[in-house]
Amino acid sequence: MNIATVHSIIDDLGALLLFTMILIVAASQISRAIYAVATQSLFIALAGAVLATATGNVDLWVIAGITLIVKAMVLPWLLHWVVRRMDVKREVEPVIPDMATLALAVVIVVMSFHLSASLGSVRQSITGNALPVGIALTLNGVLVMATRKTALSQMVGLFAAENGIFFTAMAVTEGMPLIIEIGVILDVILAALVMTIMVLRVRSTVDADIADLDRLRG
Amino acid sequence: MAETLLWVLPLVPTVTALLMLTTRKRILLSCLDIAGSAVLTVLTLVLACEVTDGGPRSLGVFRVDDLGLIFLLLLAVLTLAVSIYTVGWLKQALEVGNMKADSLRSYFALVHAFVATIVVTILADNLGILWIAMEGTTITSAILIGYHGHHHGLEAAWKYIIVTTIGISFGLFGTVIIYAAASHVMGSASSMSWAAIMSVAPKLDPGIVRIGFIFALVGYGTKAGLAPMHLWLPDAHSQAPTPVSALLSGVLIKCALLAIIRFQTIAAAACGTEFPQQVLLVFGLISVVVATPFILAQHDLKRLLGYHSVEHVGIIALGLGFGGTIGTYGALLHVVNHGITKALAFFAAGTAIARYDTRDMQAIRGLLTVAPIGATLLMLAALSLAGVPPFSIFISELMVLRAGIGQGDWVSITIFLLMVVIIFAGLLHHAGAMVFGEPTAAASREPEARSPLLAMLLLAVIMIVLGLTIPASFDGHLKRATEVIVD
Repeated sequence: MNIATVHSIIDDLGALLLFTMILIVAASQISRAIYAVATQSLFIALAGAVLATATGNVDLWVIAGITLIVKAMVLPWLLHWVVRRMDVKREVEPVIPDMATLALAVVIVVMSFHLSASLGSVRQSITGNALPVGIALTLNGVLVMATRKTALSQMVGLFAAENGIFFTAMAVTEGMPLIIEIGVILDVILAALVMTIMVLRVRSTVDADIADLDRLRG
Repeated sequence: MAETLLWVLPLVPTVTALLMLTTRKRILLSCLDIAGSAVLTVLTLVLACEVTDGGPRSLGVFRVDDLGLIFLLLLAVLTLAVSIYTVGWLKQALEVGNMKADSLRSYFALVHAFVATIVVTILADNLGILWIAMEGTTITSAILIGYHGHHHGLEAAWKYIIVTTIGISFGLFGTVIIYAAASHVMGSASSMSWAAIMSVAPKLDPGIVRIGFIFALVGYGTKAGLAPMHLWLPDAHSQAPTPVSALLSGVLIKCALLAIIRFQTIAAAACGTEFPQQVLLVFGLISVVVATPFILAQHDLKRLLGYHSVEHVGIIALGLGFGGTIGTYGALLHVVNHGITKALAFFAAGTAIARYDTRDMQAIRGLLTVAPIGATLLMLAALSLAGVPPFSIFISELMVLRAGIGQGDWVSITIFLLMVVIIFAGLLHHAGAMVFGEPTAAASREPEARSPLLAMLLLAVIMIVLGLTIPASFDGHLKRATEVIVD
């Protein structure tokens, strides 16, 4: 593949990633948000594979494979399992109105392009406009975590933020060293498991949703 | 020898944690607990001697220098004290049903897994490993915070895991940016090693490092409890089982500060000392100011101590922010002093809470009559936390103040002094009311348990000794650690 092709493929994937991010922010049903974040992870894995082909970096193949299996399949499956198990009737429950969250998301995307301009010199020429997309995904993932009350939505936000950091790393350095990348993914899996256990535990011991826990103040 | 210790040290708590899973007997678990902590302490002391003689060592992704050693010593001492304290605390907690006998081994295993992740954060040279281990501390300690399984505990644990995970995502983002700046300079030899990045740090692009440092500071600052990212801290510290509160407040938030110091040194080398110091100064001042009203108006004893940790993390950030040899030395000394004293305060508070069966400070009265030794230790801890001479915290606060005066930063000094004085009055008011007066009818008159007293005495002795004199070998570590930061 020549550089121009890689460049345009990564740019296209970047646009698709931003689109899935907007879907996550705007999702009114938790299952839609889970499908959106799974699709997003799939695009991330594709981007990794494209970059691996272009640079001949074997590590990137491994990382793309792990991303595909763990983040596009296993973790979304886990979230769906929790949804079925808990018979979730409540949906995303934003802290602030949906429109305000969407407006913030747009502001973040614009800001990300500004921020990436000041990071210009470390940008890898091969990945085109990946850097602002990575920043936007990270910050929007954090936004989702901060503006949702229900546990599952917050976990979706966490996965999106991690996708963003991963994409940023690809944009600036062809990814972090393999061992670090694996460690990070392992941490995300463990965090997801612990969060799941806590969600189930809250349900079974105090018969409440995480979203209803708001007694600690002052 | 020292190189071997680098990979043995994280293994000790890991193996201890695994051994815990093999038994259910309380006595055996407590023995294992103390033995594991004692081995960790001894090995840390051996490593300290080795580093004094032979300088910093590194092995793969691990590295130890005097800076890390200070945090490691603090961790080892507190882990040992926590293990001793746990014996008596556990007996009481089992009696009142706060802990369940059949799930004890998972509790002990988690505590040691938590300690293992902290050891890795301290020894990590690779900034990626540092992040992974830091997220590891979040995962292990989140389960511990909600361990009692009641409504408040689970709420605090959830808030903790969400807020710190949001924060730490920023930390990873900052790490990636700094790594990108470094690999731009290093080319094909790029690595995430702190030592390697430091060697090329003056050549890094200052604009990029600045952005990376801000992200890293916000990220690890969340974990350190710097305001305004401290929202999880009072909840987590107040709801966790007392031994875990002591570890959280004594060591964990200090290790997050160590991570911040690592990034501070990179930023200082790349874009001058001015910039990171200014940022730390701002966050330090915000922390000190934000904590004050909550300390004054607090009713919950453990929440009071939690907010007080926010104040002291702010003071450490101020010390680093004023900078220079004195400010940095004072900040590092404050890390140790506050860690020891705050663990002592949590221990004393935990026994008082168990005795009165309430966290409400207005319901705890006349502790001196029912538990004279515990009350004395609580009062000593409160006096020291408030910054009364001759206790250790007074010395380090004075150094931070001295550094500020040296900088001529009068606005910061005025705010700092004002808040310290207000907190001094508030804290002593709270402590005095609990210790003196007529005991309430609800107070248990049982004799004081020995093992918690032993743990508290151990910490109190260290606290008083550090206030009177700083041992020469420890002073050496502090001085060399200061050189690592200040250059």
